[in-house]
Amino acid sequence: MNILLALLFLLAAGAGTGVVLTRDPRRQIFAIAANGLVLTVLFFALQAPDVALSELAVGTAATPLLFLVTLAAVRRNRARQ
Amino acid sequence: MKQWLKLALLAVAGCSLVWPVWRIARALPPFGEPTGNYGPEVNRLGPPLRHISNMVSAVNFDFRGIDTLGEEFMLLAAVTGTVLLLRGIRGEDTSAAPDIIAGRALAGRAESTTVICRLLGPLTVLFGLYMAAHATVTPGGGFQGGVVIASGFLLLYLGEDYSAWRELIRSHIVAALEGGGALLFALAGFLPLAEGHAYMENTLPLGDFKDVFSGGLMLVENVGVAFAVAAGFTMLFLEFMEETRSLEGDGDK
Amino acid sequence: MSVLPWLVAAWLFGAGIYGIVSSRNFVHLIGCLSVCQSSTYLLLLGIGYRWGGVVPVFYDHPPGTKAVDPVVQALVLTDIVVGATVTALLLAMAVQVDRKYRELDPQKLRPMRHEGHQ
Repeated sequence: MNILLALLFLLAAGAGTGVVLTRDPRRQIFAIAANGLVLTVLFFALQAPDVALSELAVGTAATPLLFLVTLAAVRRNRARQ
Repeated sequence: MKQWLKLALLAVAGCSLVWPVWRIARALPPFGEPTGNYGPEVNRLGPPLRHISNMVSAVNFDFRGIDTLGEEFMLLAAVTGTVLLLRGIRGEDTSAAPDIIAGRALAGRAESTTVICRLLGPLTVLFGLYMAAHATVTPGGGFQGGVVIASGFLLLYLGEDYSAWRELIRSHIVAALEGGGALLFALAGFLPLAEGHAYMENTLPLGDFKDVFSGGLMLVENVGVAFAVAAGFTMLFLEFMEETRSLEGDGDK
Repeated sequence: MSVLPWLVAAWLFGAGIYGIVSSRNFVHLIGCLSVCQSSTYLLLLGIGYRWGGVVPVFYDHPPGTKAVDPVVQALVLTDIVVGATVTALLLAMAVQVDRKYRELDPQKLRPMRHEGHQ
């Protein structure tokens, strides 16, 4: 359990850095979804299933969809002007 | 302010904070040996006092219920702000035809997507309802169940066209559910006031341990939160999707 | 191992702030803000963890078993859901900024002046 938790924390740090370093917004959406998934596994390992359920539904479904539709709306607005 | 100046300031701030952060990290209790007393007390006193087994729900809806009332209204305010911002410029008309941008290929929807979404969408909504209803016995609750229900509605959108989805999800009903859920939560606190107790004190019958109908007032608050969160997220999806619809005409896709 | 969670939380927060300062696109900036938020979740849940503790839901194990802290879990739970709606509000503002100025680059936008915008 010691090693597993340490590795999960380091993986969470890596996933967060990946979100920041991905500059293109369309690619950042996948990084955000991956970050949500890594955080879900970490919260599950920290004995917090309620939190893991919230983070799973929000971080992999709701937030990437909002970003996607925002990018689509921006593109459509620019095409119309 | 120039960009290099911003980055230089950030570097200075970062370097000057490295040593304090290290000192603070050493001064915090080591990971795995917490020194607080509130958590273990809640764990010890929760089941006999309130007859429920999910301590996280107990903290959310009973021991710190007014906190959650504040969070609930924060959610309501954020959703209202988004709707106002987006509808203020666009207007209240809705349209079902997506805007076509010239020069981009339009991929059709695969049939397997429709089949899988039709199978999994209602199942996900049912699972979300189960999770929201069993707040006091198993991991779950209004917040989690509400978000799972909203993602079930999203699966339904992926499987059908936008116009078919709009037939299912009408903005008036969603808006009513959202406001109604928050109102139910706030009014649930007034029930004990009518009997002479404090606001949001748990005075309903508490039920048996490990039974679904345990926890008293927590169940009512839970239902309110589940409605508000599910409808809030669905409303957000709706408003953002409407941004990509065309303004003139209403065909079908 | 005993200070790793606090250092990871500090690193994530610093990375998020760096992303916000050096961002060239508003939507990317909002993604970095969510990284900052996730650092606070890590910190809170790390404080509540106890070696050998079980889930604070006493359904399968009897009440009285040594469990992790439920108070911080309750805080993080509501925080995640409300944080997502605030992200949606910020994204709506980004859409409006782009609609008005046709520009999503924070470094190219200037504060508004009296005699109109530029």
